[in-house]
Amino acid sequence: MIRKDAIKITSKLVGDAPIISANGFISRDLFEVNDKNSNFYMIGSMGLASSIGLGIALKKTKKKLYIFDGDGNIMMNLGTLVTIGSLKPKNLVHVVFDNNSHESTGGQPTNSKNIKIDNIANETNFKTFQVNTKDELEKTLKKIKNMAGPIFLLIKVSKSKRVSKRVSITPTQIKTRFMNSL
Amino acid sequence: MKKNTQRKIFDFFVKKGFNDFIGVPDSTFSEFIRHGLKKNKIIITTREEEAIGVATGISLARNFSLVFMQNAGFANTLSTIASLVQLYQIPIIFLIGWRGYLKTDAPEHIKIGQIQPKLLKALSLETRIISEKNWRKNCQWAFNKITHNRPCALIIRRET
Repeated sequence: MIRKDAIKITSKLVGDAPIISANGFISRDLFEVNDKNSNFYMIGSMGLASSIGLGIALKKTKKKLYIFDGDGNIMMNLGTLVTIGSLKPKNLVHVVFDNNSHESTGGQPTNSKNIKIDNIANETNFKTFQVNTKDELEKTLKKIKNMAGPIFLLIKVSKSKRVSKRVSITPTQIKTRFMNSL
Repeated sequence: MKKNTQRKIFDFFVKKGFNDFIGVPDSTFSEFIRHGLKKNKIIITTREEEAIGVATGISLARNFSLVFMQNAGFANTLSTIASLVQLYQIPIIFLIGWRGYLKTDAPEHIKIGQIQPKLLKALSLETRIISEKNWRKNCQWAFNKITHNRPCALIIRRET
């Protein structure tokens, strides 16, 4: 399964729930396959999508909140698992699309295959799931829909030559329409 | 800064509607943090950038937020302030302790203390230094800034 397909399946199944997506190809894929007002595309500040998601989850406790992160992103801000795991927001789902690479900068390797990110999440109070196929992904997304979090979903994806277009709306437009959707 | 003043500054922002004070501690305003912890309004993060991310989320959910840190931590956050806070115009008040303001401070604080005004200027982050005398006026200034969607910084000097 390539990341773009995984993002398509995940974004469709979460419906209108807010999504905070990490910089680089993750936001570009999401913008191309399922642009919505409730998507917050974080186009810079690598590593911080999960922190932004935490802030929203703490204030909008009745809304399920999804973070679309990458392996490079989460490893740049592993401390986020400590903070989320300490505050334990029930409505937060941290999804990591793991291709073991910094694909947006040319496919250089990350160290995600050398360690077990989901085990770290497990130790920091997340309910943890890992999926490898589209079928498993769909089943797991349905299963966690009404489950209390924090939930960590690791999706193993493969690299692909298909590159999505850039997010073409301005950062302040992204912000304004996202805020109005909450 | 006097303990009593630090508590007053905290209470000033609570009265304005702030419920969330996020950051990494600094001894320069330890009473501000101690007071906030007692009121259960403090989130301590692992790094300063993370604190800014959380504050951004809180702001997107239409709540006020303040990020506190010392200036070594501020130096960590330059990219985050430029490419998240300023890029998206997120109204956050930064409260920054100025270590290295006195030349007698510990050696690890001297360099960042020296270049701190230049860093703030390079970012074009609007700033006021708060003291025993002017804190109320400058905190009000910061509050006015963020109600107009403009991030800004308040600086507390380390004077001992």
